[in-house]
Amino acid sequence: MENLGGLFNPSSPDMEAMTDLTYYILAISIVILAIIVVAVTYIIIRYRKTPGDKTEPYQNFGDTRLEIVWTVIPIAIVAVLFQLTCSTMKVIDPPIGDREPDIVVIGHQWWWEFYYPDSGVITANEMHIPAGKKLLLRVESIDVIHDFWLPELGPKIDAVPGHTNHLWFAAAEPGVYLGACAEFCGTQHANMRIRVVAQTQEDFDKWQEEELVVPKTPRSGIAAEGAELFQTKACMNCHTIFGTPAAARIGPNLTHLNNRQTIGAGVLTNSPENLAKWLIDPQKYKQGSLMPNMKLSDSEVKAIVAYLEALK
Amino acid sequence: MSKIPLVPENTKPLPALGENQGMLSWVASVDHKQIGIMYLISTMVFFVIGGLEALVIRMQLAKPEFDFVSPEVYNQMFTMHGTTMIFFVVMPFLIGLGVYLVPLMIGARDMAFPRLNALSFWLVVFGGILLYYSFLTQSGPSEVGWFAYAPLSEKPFSLNKGPTYWALGLLATGISSVASGLNNIVTILTMRTKGMTMRRLPLFVWMILVTSFLLIFVIPIIASAFAMMLLDRLLDATFFTPAHGGSAILWQHFFWGFGHPEVYILVLPAFGIISEVIPVFSRKPIYGYEFVAGSTVAIGLLSMGVWAHHMFAVGLGNVANLYFSLASMLIAIPTGIKVLNWVATMWGGKIWFATPMLFATAFIIEFVLGGLTGVAIASVPIDWVATDTYFIVAHFHYVLFGGSLFAIFAGVYYWFPKFTGRMMSERLGKWHFWLTVIGFNMTFFIQHFLGLMGMPRRTYTYHDFPYWGSMNLLSTIGAFVLAISVLIFIWNIRRSLKHGEKAPDNPWNAWTLEWATSSPPAVHNFDLVPPVRGRRPLWDLEHPDNPDEPNAKIVL
Amino acid sequence: MANNKMLIGFFVASESIFFLMLILAYVNFHGTITDGPTAANSLDPLRTGIFSLFLLASSFSVWLAGRSMASKNHFMLKIWLVVTILLGALFIYGQASEWLGLIDQNITISRNVFGTTFFTLTGFHGFHVCVGLLMLTILLGLAMFGDFKGPKSDGVECVSIYWHFVDGVWIVVYSVIYLWAFL
Repeated sequence: MENLGGLFNPSSPDMEAMTDLTYYILAISIVILAIIVVAVTYIIIRYRKTPGDKTEPYQNFGDTRLEIVWTVIPIAIVAVLFQLTCSTMKVIDPPIGDREPDIVVIGHQWWWEFYYPDSGVITANEMHIPAGKKLLLRVESIDVIHDFWLPELGPKIDAVPGHTNHLWFAAAEPGVYLGACAEFCGTQHANMRIRVVAQTQEDFDKWQEEELVVPKTPRSGIAAEGAELFQTKACMNCHTIFGTPAAARIGPNLTHLNNRQTIGAGVLTNSPENLAKWLIDPQKYKQGSLMPNMKLSDSEVKAIVAYLEALK
Repeated sequence: MSKIPLVPENTKPLPALGENQGMLSWVASVDHKQIGIMYLISTMVFFVIGGLEALVIRMQLAKPEFDFVSPEVYNQMFTMHGTTMIFFVVMPFLIGLGVYLVPLMIGARDMAFPRLNALSFWLVVFGGILLYYSFLTQSGPSEVGWFAYAPLSEKPFSLNKGPTYWALGLLATGISSVASGLNNIVTILTMRTKGMTMRRLPLFVWMILVTSFLLIFVIPIIASAFAMMLLDRLLDATFFTPAHGGSAILWQHFFWGFGHPEVYILVLPAFGIISEVIPVFSRKPIYGYEFVAGSTVAIGLLSMGVWAHHMFAVGLGNVANLYFSLASMLIAIPTGIKVLNWVATMWGGKIWFATPMLFATAFIIEFVLGGLTGVAIASVPIDWVATDTYFIVAHFHYVLFGGSLFAIFAGVYYWFPKFTGRMMSERLGKWHFWLTVIGFNMTFFIQHFLGLMGMPRRTYTYHDFPYWGSMNLLSTIGAFVLAISVLIFIWNIRRSLKHGEKAPDNPWNAWTLEWATSSPPAVHNFDLVPPVRGRRPLWDLEHPDNPDEPNAKIVL
Repeated sequence: MANNKMLIGFFVASESIFFLMLILAYVNFHGTITDGPTAANSLDPLRTGIFSLFLLASSFSVWLAGRSMASKNHFMLKIWLVVTILLGALFIYGQASEWLGLIDQNITISRNVFGTTFFTLTGFHGFHVCVGLLMLTILLGLAMFGDFKGPKSDGVECVSIYWHFVDGVWIVVYSVIYLWAFL
């Protein structure tokens, strides 16, 4: 079942509660469906008109007692379902109180920004968390409505511009969990994917430290050319790299791009070759993406890739 | 007021479809039967268009990372598919069927306002043209979904003209729907023949009446939202633009305030069809008439208080979520009553499984499945799992295709002889039925699992996760089976119009008044409306020894 | 024929949902405006209140027109129709001058949510008043040609129902926009 993913591989306590509830209610539904199917099948076999039979059957107009019975039974079932719903809600969605969020999730067309208020880390599309800890996320959007969703880790929650939402979030075990934007948000809604990297506390702390390092700008060689191009070729109009004048937030923060597994919110795996391909024509891999084709020459692409690779 | 009769009396009877009477006699018609047929024909055209859009969607999803069409085209296709099927196929079909049948079923000469009736029809056509005109604009039709969530549907995120045409087109059909709702209400309340009390009204007419009340009370909600959206788009108003102080959530409240009752607008008349077909083919009266009619009213009322179950992921807070969860679950009760009454009607009958009854029987199963998943996702945590995934796509196709469309097919086979004077082919009908059942379940059943496995909706592409490719391929093949079944259906209609067996006035030995006149009915509908002394006037005529209401007063 | 009056009755019920939504939109944003024009700092409740009285009075005059018809007094029917039209037109004049004044101060539909909701709500109401005026003018024309013999006419009664409705909506709109801001 695990490789089916989603509901079939619940990987957090909340998701397990939701999976149990879903199975439970679907089981009730299947029983009801089965009753109807059996009844209809029986009718089809038993009450089929025999050819040549011109007589009419007994004309039965109804029975109020029976109507009451099959009104009351569904009411009882609904009461059970609602009770189950309430008790699950209590588990998975307790009040926030005045707790501050551990991570702020910001939806952009078509990528995710993650901000860790305690440490100040800013990253994109790949959210690192310590495994086994119940975290509080604050979910926002700067443009249109998105929806933050990890099918194996818990509920969906909309990222609504002008409206702040909160989500309890955890992964029981270390591992990589895949998610995606679930609310239609425009052309590249399909490629607005999320990777959650759950780590042991030590690994997570180590990652956080790495992310906080302000990399040195290369002074020589092709990487230095790339650094120069980054500031002159309009890259800086949209992206941030710590320790340089580039500080825009339209596109993802690229300071520690090296640490990430994918490019373009999940369209390509992160490697120097793919990064070069992406820079040559982002629209080829993510048509409609807000990153335009900058018409860079091959040598310029090589230089920028070298620069981004050199940021450590 | 002047005494000019509202309807110019035609001297010729309603022309059968194949006969060449000139287009003008149709275009200028205010006869409810001709308008009804024009409704049905135009919805067939839109059905084919919407179906082709669905095939493009399924082609694109046939395999992972496929590039059959661009993301923009894919988004346009699912937007137009949903909009077309809801506003230009199911809704006008059911309204059109009502326009044709309601006056006949209540023994009236025509609708209360024949000209308004014609206006309603032509506004639907006009709306459809406006909607599809957007294909000719520079950047094509709307690509923001049939729900057009703000601010995606607003400047600066949608600078193309598509959503403007979309809103204008739907505004036109909205006005049309209100007009036909008003017309139906007045017709049903004031033009029933003698003896046709509300308690003897055919259930189809009851459902049309409740639907009409929904139309006049919920279409204005979306009409005002469309007006606001258009003001935002055209005059830079700020209703739904959070960047300028507007609210993205307000749009959702308006949209679903209309959108959920809309679901019942799409399905209640279908319940009406089923409530006519099942008794006739089971040779028994409907079981628990009062409960079927009463539960419809209950559904109509409840449906207006459940809209935010479409918004559980928006973050409205637990109190609101739980209220809407409970209210939504409550709808299962009147709906369940209906289903059980249909089953009880069949129980003990002598059932003739002609094509209409096949579709009606399948309807019960498919609709119950769609209804049960609906109850499941009314539970907030399950909705958080399922919403915006293919589980929802499967759910509402079971309700709207397995429900409404199966009923529509049943209705077409049932009333075709009345409309045209010819029977449809039973042999082709059975082919159509079985291919529809197979294709439909093949397309949509698997999508429940895709959704639970985490496949989001409205995505033009997907990664090659385990089984996703093969499950989607199966779904796509099912869609093509469905397409073949629709071709057979259309072929059956075409062939039967020309070569179908001549239909008698009452081929199914049915009991409501429309079967008491000729097939097709004369322009004036009835030479003589039979006396109505019970719910089944024709049964009473045929069985004077065993009438439905033995003590009914004879009204002359 | 009771049909026509029933139709207009349900039509008015349907329309009231439309206005209810516009009013809800206004109410929804009422407390959210942080800067720029609001009802309290840019409207004149007294002036609009006086013009509102004209509209209220026109409801009375259209009722009198109906009474005149019922008593087959065709001359007074025409007079009261003319009075109704003039009162309605005065109201529209008041609204138009109010709008022009606001636009002069650069308070427009695109300025902020107050502008958006205010102009939309009063605009749709004004549009309904104009449609009513058009229908009243048609009635007047028909009356001039002696079309209404009395004592009953669905035309006059239906337009009158519609006109009362437009009037009733204004009472709510005025309360929500003007009285709420100043009381």
